[in-house]
Amino acid sequence: MTSTTPAADPAPPPRAPRRRATRAPFVLLAPALALFAAFVLIPIGYALFLSTQGLRIVDEGVFGIRDEVFVGLANYTQVLGDADFRAGFGRLALYGLIAVPLTLGLALLFALLLDNASSRARRFSRVAIFLPYAVPGVVASLMWGFMYLPSTSPFSHLTERLGLGGIPFLDGGAIYPSLANIAVWGGVGFNMIIIYTSLRGIPGELYDAARIDGCGEWRIAWRIKIPLVAPALVITGLFALIGTIQVYGEPTMLSPMTSEISQTWVPLMRIYRDGFVRDDLPLAAAGSVILAVGTLLVSLALLRVTQRRAFGGVR
Amino acid sequence: MADRQRTRRRLPAALVGAALLLAGCFGGPAGDDVVTLDYWCWSQGQAEKVAAFNAAHPGIRVRHTDAGGGTDTATKLLTASRAGNAPDIACVEYPTVPAMVVSDVLRDIAPYTAEVTDAFSPEIWRMTRFEGEVYGVPQDIGPMVLLYHRARFEELGLAVPATWEEFAEVAEQVRERDPDSHLATFAPAEFGNFAGLAQQAGAAWWSVEDRRWTVGIDDGPTLRVAAYWQDLIDRDLVRPEPLLTPEWNARLNRGEVLTWPSALWAPGVIHGIAEGQAGDWAIAPLPHWEGEGPEVALQGGTALTVTKNSEHPREAAEFAMWMNTAPEAVELQIASGQYPACRSGQETAAHSPPPPLTGEQADYWEVAAFAADHTVPSISWGPNVSTAADAYNDAVSAAVRDGTPLPDALRDVHRTVLDDMTRVGFDVTD
Repeated sequence: MTSTTPAADPAPPPRAPRRRATRAPFVLLAPALALFAAFVLIPIGYALFLSTQGLRIVDEGVFGIRDEVFVGLANYTQVLGDADFRAGFGRLALYGLIAVPLTLGLALLFALLLDNASSRARRFSRVAIFLPYAVPGVVASLMWGFMYLPSTSPFSHLTERLGLGGIPFLDGGAIYPSLANIAVWGGVGFNMIIIYTSLRGIPGELYDAARIDGCGEWRIAWRIKIPLVAPALVITGLFALIGTIQVYGEPTMLSPMTSEISQTWVPLMRIYRDGFVRDDLPLAAAGSVILAVGTLLVSLALLRVTQRRAFGGVR
Repeated sequence: MADRQRTRRRLPAALVGAALLLAGCFGGPAGDDVVTLDYWCWSQGQAEKVAAFNAAHPGIRVRHTDAGGGTDTATKLLTASRAGNAPDIACVEYPTVPAMVVSDVLRDIAPYTAEVTDAFSPEIWRMTRFEGEVYGVPQDIGPMVLLYHRARFEELGLAVPATWEEFAEVAEQVRERDPDSHLATFAPAEFGNFAGLAQQAGAAWWSVEDRRWTVGIDDGPTLRVAAYWQDLIDRDLVRPEPLLTPEWNARLNRGEVLTWPSALWAPGVIHGIAEGQAGDWAIAPLPHWEGEGPEVALQGGTALTVTKNSEHPREAAEFAMWMNTAPEAVELQIASGQYPACRSGQETAAHSPPPPLTGEQADYWEVAAFAADHTVPSISWGPNVSTAADAYNDAVSAAVRDGTPLPDALRDVHRTVLDDMTRVGFDVTD
């Protein structure tokens, strides 16, 4: 980190027994380290190990039996060589391009509106905007699914009444905005709360100073509020991005309603299918490792690009 | 403080003691000589059958769990088996049995099943008996039939098609007489249904001899059936869309779906969606190809399998046999809407009332028995049916969506299945 260290460390008390001083950090860290090892390191290690295994036929029984053997990187070449897996990332990108900017943009807009002193019914609006986040994703997907299906959609019902015909929510390219809409609907409230909390932390003197200098509400929002909540925007952006890469529930719930969404529409759906439908956990492990590494790289890239502007500007 | 803590600590111990005492009092002969078996099955009426078994067998106590439908149970069974805690007995769909054998989940129960050999026809045994090794006792079967909306057929003056050629003609008449309706739905994600239609035409998707597999998902009969349905889709004679969606259910309730070529379990499914149409429907023999016999395939159906994890295979096999051949069990099975796999059960079924949806059909059980007696003799499934099903559903959905030919989609499925088997190390030929 770039934070400067204090000029001089306070010297340790001269008479303190040395042993105790060196043991204490380890004792205090031990529970955290044990939990970290048990629930993070070991599972990751096992997934890596599993991804190098393969279920192959050995000569036994009437048909032969699938047994775990070491196959090196065969699972990785299999996953990476699959055009559909790569296409899944393309679909993910298209979905993310719609969902992430909309979620963040709307969250920022609502947060600024709630923060504005002249807004009314703020408490009600805050709860109302946040409420969809409390609806479980599966329920939200089903609910929207019914609102998209031609025979049950209230929107299509209206447009049909107007003689415009139904809206093909689930056909062709429309599936992307339809899916993104579910994520935006569910995600705006949560992101808004983070940005709003950050806005409330801005000292009031800054606004007073700006008003004395002749700033209107628009300029205050643009010149003071948005730059100061940039760290919150980066964090919410990161959450939204990771949420996009991990999207699974919405397309899975909608897939029985439309032939547009295949079993391998996004990478996680494919990983699930490999692991549980096709009973090939090693292949699923390899896919998971690839997805995790990809997520890490994208997150690091985002942080690198935004860190200077967001966090550097505050200092 | 100290007192309260002590009582708190004592309370669980007291509860455990009380529970033990209760178990001792009311558990009956739950002593050392009673074998406890775990049993997974999702079909209707299992609790009653299990209770009847337990009552008749004081030495065995079976605990029944519904672990979810066919696919879910198969997934859980594989996982549990790897962890060493699979149930003793599990319900498995016929197409999944070979995969379970290959994954080392199931036990050969041939040493125990000699007494029920004649209870099932050889065609049915083909599903669970491979080279003399028995991997399950057949429970129910789904011989394919044509379920049709008799009231709508009469209203539109349609004749029930006996052949697939006539089926196409009737489909045309439907479009002429009621443009809102279609004779049938072509459901892109119904692997089992299409497999049955292809098997009826003579397809052999998997066959095995001495561990040498042959895959034929792109064989002549399959491509012919695919081309047939492609033609119906192209001429807007059947509606290509997923089944059992709110969309499809609404259409069904409006009377716009006139037939469902599927299996004997179908009346129960439709009744669940359109209760108001009870009595309006009937079944007929599934259409056959002109110049060919009336043999049909089986769609759906399950067997009770015994797992390798089980420590009591003899008792487990006894349970599996009783559940599927004992008169008492079979009666409960028929009452729950299943069509039994055993011969005696099928005879019993012939004397029971038809399901509510087809309640007005006097010859319901005659049609059913005819279908069950005329099943294609050569159905066999492969070790990676789930891969095939999954590849089929995606490829055919994409074909229907993009308007590309169904036969090409079947060729893709064939390639995927073949590649998968080669990768896993099977000895397989094209």
